[in-house]
Amino acid sequence: MMAFVEIAAKDLRIELRSKEMLSAMFLFALLMVLAFRFAFDQSVNSGSVVVSDLAAAALWICFSFAAIVGMHTSFAKERDRETLEGLLLCPVDRSAIFLGKALANLVLVFAVDLLSILFFALFFSYDFNGNSAPVIGIAFLGTVTLVLVGTLVAAISVNSRAREVLLPILLIPLIAFSVIIPCVQATRNAINGQLAESMGEVQSIIGFAVIFAAVGYLTIDYVLEG
Amino acid sequence: MNLKKLGLIVTAVAAVLVLVTTYLAIYYAPLPATSVKEAGDIMPSVEGSSVTVSGFVTGLNITDLRMKDSPAVIEFSLADFVDYQRYEAAVAAGNTSSQWWTVRPIDVKILSGGFRSTSFGPDITNDVHNTTNISLSAAVTAGSIGENSQALGYYLYTPETNSVVISSSQGGFSAMTAPIAQKIFYFHMPSAWASYMGFIVTLVASVLYLRTRNVKYDWIAMSSAELGVLFATIAITTGPVWAKQEWGVYWRWDDTKLVTTFIMWLVYIGYLSLRAAMSEPTTRARVSAVYGIVGFVTMPMSLLSSRIAPLLNSSHPEVIASSTGSLSAQAGMTVGVAVVAFTFLFVAMLIKRFEIAENEEELEELKRVIGGEE
Repeated sequence: MMAFVEIAAKDLRIELRSKEMLSAMFLFALLMVLAFRFAFDQSVNSGSVVVSDLAAAALWICFSFAAIVGMHTSFAKERDRETLEGLLLCPVDRSAIFLGKALANLVLVFAVDLLSILFFALFFSYDFNGNSAPVIGIAFLGTVTLVLVGTLVAAISVNSRAREVLLPILLIPLIAFSVIIPCVQATRNAINGQLAESMGEVQSIIGFAVIFAAVGYLTIDYVLEG
Repeated sequence: MNLKKLGLIVTAVAAVLVLVTTYLAIYYAPLPATSVKEAGDIMPSVEGSSVTVSGFVTGLNITDLRMKDSPAVIEFSLADFVDYQRYEAAVAAGNTSSQWWTVRPIDVKILSGGFRSTSFGPDITNDVHNTTNISLSAAVTAGSIGENSQALGYYLYTPETNSVVISSSQGGFSAMTAPIAQKIFYFHMPSAWASYMGFIVTLVASVLYLRTRNVKYDWIAMSSAELGVLFATIAITTGPVWAKQEWGVYWRWDDTKLVTTFIMWLVYIGYLSLRAAMSEPTTRARVSAVYGIVGFVTMPMSLLSSRIAPLLNSSHPEVIASSTGSLSAQAGMTVGVAVVAFTFLFVAMLIKRFEIAENEEELEELKRVIGGEE
């Protein structure tokens, strides 16, 4: 059952050699935070927007969209380079491919999460009220759910013509309630040092991670077929 | 063909039932006099009947006619306790104009005490202030209503101040304030029901397709998803029409039912876009079947959200399986007929759409033959 780690390691090795996605996602996160900095410049200076609220919202918008940019390629690249057949011929379970891809995506997206948090702290001179550890914790938790559903939907959308456009259309409604809403709430509480109040949100994020992992595990055979 | 005959019969039944529903909704179903959540306790029927509600006073206006040997007229709005804290915050901020309420404040008119007659009860003009908590038994009266209404409507009227109880404890009420607008419910709820049915059929057909690889199941899944989106569109457009009258706003983003239904609608629009973006029939069938299964996660969330509402905050009325049973017998019967009508309508349209899918397939086949590819 270590096959999925092998697949993830393969993807990450390719990524580290080419740095194609990492550099794209890195720039994407940088520009997103920068856009928020410019857009909310007046409001932050005048204090009409509370920075903790802005941080929670802005970070999860960055995470979600950077993840969409990154995850889109995890199957698209295999298809374009015609290596998908080779991958499917591997003597492993299809679900191992799903889990492997999800793990590789998790590493990449979480790296970008950390960078976004860093950029946010730099651009807004914000220390998250000294609660950056729980913020990172929620980011990891939410990213797990995000990549599980994202990897499945990326595998689905790679079959279509307009896959770049289609991935966000298919994914955002699904992550809206399972990731974005609870994570923004939990992150806001985490920044304010009231993470204990967000146990309901944390449970719901974990619950959706389990649901999407199960659905992905059961249906990936049909998606990757042929 | 057999299916064609069945389709014709179902269509005819559906047409008759929809007409019957329309008739019943307009002429038979009584105006909702019941509260949304504590039905049966208050408002057995609208006009002329006496109801008991409690809430807090806002928008107070006292016209003192006692100098003219008349009782004082106290007009105010009674707001829901659910919004009490928000109301207090708004008052503290000095801005109540842009606020909205769970239930739009009910307009109340009281004749109080005065010198004229003892039958008017004690003088309460000095006791009622903004934010006073009161409960009162008053008659539902038609007429031009207070500051919260632009139009003719219903307000609560009591000439006997004995029926007004001023209390310090917070109670709660949810009485409907826009009875006529409730008629749309007889189309709103059955549409929502038909859309849920559509998405369940999509799920079942998707699973069956993946198991059997019979292309007919794919056509059923697609037809049913299209109809589900259609009926969900009706449900989420008729809802705001009512909500504007009842709540004072078209949409509430803090309401779980509304948000989850909207997300469900988006997911199935995604399903249809996914299908539109794939041309190879077997890949399309296989892949969209999986998305049909994944997306179904949103359906129970939408359906059950008003049940688990205490946990998640929803002011959307619950209808089925509510412990208090908020519908009168006539209204219940109308809803029953409406649900059956929309079920038939759904089945009729599903059969029609399935036939179209079959014809499209035949057309493709003919094109292939003429194009000489086979």
